[in-house]
Amino acid sequence: MKYAKVTATAAAGALLFVSTGAQANGEKPDYTAMTPEALAEYLIFEANGIKLDQKTQEGATVKERQMRDELQTICSGGTRATLAGDDLAKVASLGRAGIVKPEGGVKLGDWKKGQELARSGFGFRVGHNNDDHSTREPGGNCYACHQLDPKEIAYGTLGPSLMNYGKLRGNSQAIIDYTYDVVYSPHSFFPCTHMPRFGANGVLTQQQIADVLAYLIDPASPVNQ
Amino acid sequence: MLNKRTFLIPLCLMMAGASAAGDYRPPEDVLAELIEKSGSLYLTQSEQNLMMMADNPASWTVEEGEALFHEPRGPNNVSLEGCDFGKGPGVLDGAYVEMPRYFADTGRVMDLETRLVHCMTTLQGFADDDPAVKSRHGSNSDMMRLQSYIGSKSSGYPWNPPLDHPLETAMRDAGKVLFNRRAGPMDFSCATCHSESGKRIRASVLPNINSPEEWTKAISWPAYRVGHQHVRSSQHRVRGCYWQMRQGQSVAGSDASIALISYWTDAARGQPAILPDMKR
Repeated sequence: MKYAKVTATAAAGALLFVSTGAQANGEKPDYTAMTPEALAEYLIFEANGIKLDQKTQEGATVKERQMRDELQTICSGGTRATLAGDDLAKVASLGRAGIVKPEGGVKLGDWKKGQELARSGFGFRVGHNNDDHSTREPGGNCYACHQLDPKEIAYGTLGPSLMNYGKLRGNSQAIIDYTYDVVYSPHSFFPCTHMPRFGANGVLTQQQIADVLAYLIDPASPVNQ
Repeated sequence: MLNKRTFLIPLCLMMAGASAAGDYRPPEDVLAELIEKSGSLYLTQSEQNLMMMADNPASWTVEEGEALFHEPRGPNNVSLEGCDFGKGPGVLDGAYVEMPRYFADTGRVMDLETRLVHCMTTLQGFADDDPAVKSRHGSNSDMMRLQSYIGSKSSGYPWNPPLDHPLETAMRDAGKVLFNRRAGPMDFSCATCHSESGKRIRASVLPNINSPEEWTKAISWPAYRVGHQHVRSSQHRVRGCYWQMRQGQSVAGSDASIALISYWTDAARGQPAILPDMKR
């Protein structure tokens, strides 16, 4: 389970507050002389705001997890409605660049496995209680934000309803390829969307994404009944 | 859904008799009035919780906190009546809705929990690792008893965190950046879940920071959490949100946590606090 990070961007982020008033001798800097952005970085990384030393499931520490890549940094500054067109174009291009297709092309997997992944919110929590990935595989938690199977009433509404996803769109290779890209790195189509980059961030494997695609697109899936 | 008629009648009766008592209003009255005004799905999502508000188990925690507050305790054997929460030593009425605030004696912006720890360690002389100050969570902790009591003395008062000192503004502004800061394997920030009204995670309706009428309930901690069967604090909520966002563990009392609480309190400005509250 890899969680890819643009280390160059993270290092640049780490350097940011060195030049903005944080003092090396351990004395507290003048918060009022810092920009809100610089102060926020200082509070996380230099003022013990978050337990940075804790190990993460992806094999690094919380410190790496708190650092942002370029896409996260731009999308922290606003939404699709408020950000400048140039920023959104940059995010879309970063989103596209992050997509890795399976060798031999995208194929639908097993919708039953996809259903389990859609229901499971397990994985990647750290802090007072850690999700142990050796006991259970992390899920995709689709139901937290989307309606899928019409029989499931406890569905979230942060994202659009995906009920009858395949029934409405068909199961052509074009739809399968498009849906893979959306799950893998949704910013390629929806810059600064709330949705996680399940593939690009290493939350789901290519095979798990294929299973989720089957749950969405396979005519036999309960999503399309 | 909530039966508006049965809810309205006791509200009118209570309001008629409440005007002489200053800003204080019982939490169930405050919530009922907010529901009548806004009809927010977040405010009305759990009819069971609304009906139980008058018998909120947190009211026991408040009573226990009142006794603890006035009792001489710690190595110095003094009560907390000498603790200044911003409106003078021992003045609690409406003090909590004006926190976090800058305290000249520490040179810091402090939230309720941090100020309470400060007074218990300096005034009462408790050691940092004494369970009285170290144990922060659960209805049986001194910390939650005291926070619940102090908070309850602000029920019905409008949130009004001061922004007179430059540090108060700096912390509030940094808190806004933290609230919107996307990081981690899920690319989440607080704003992912808390910037639109009526949205749900699974079956839970989420509060919107841009809607002060529903946001006041979101930040009305201490609150009894039915699912936890414990009274919980603002700091506990911050930790829980960072955990669910798959970011790192927020450190209680850190300036980062206080900055976030400064921003979220400012976002509820002018709306009455519901203390103690009861949540799912």
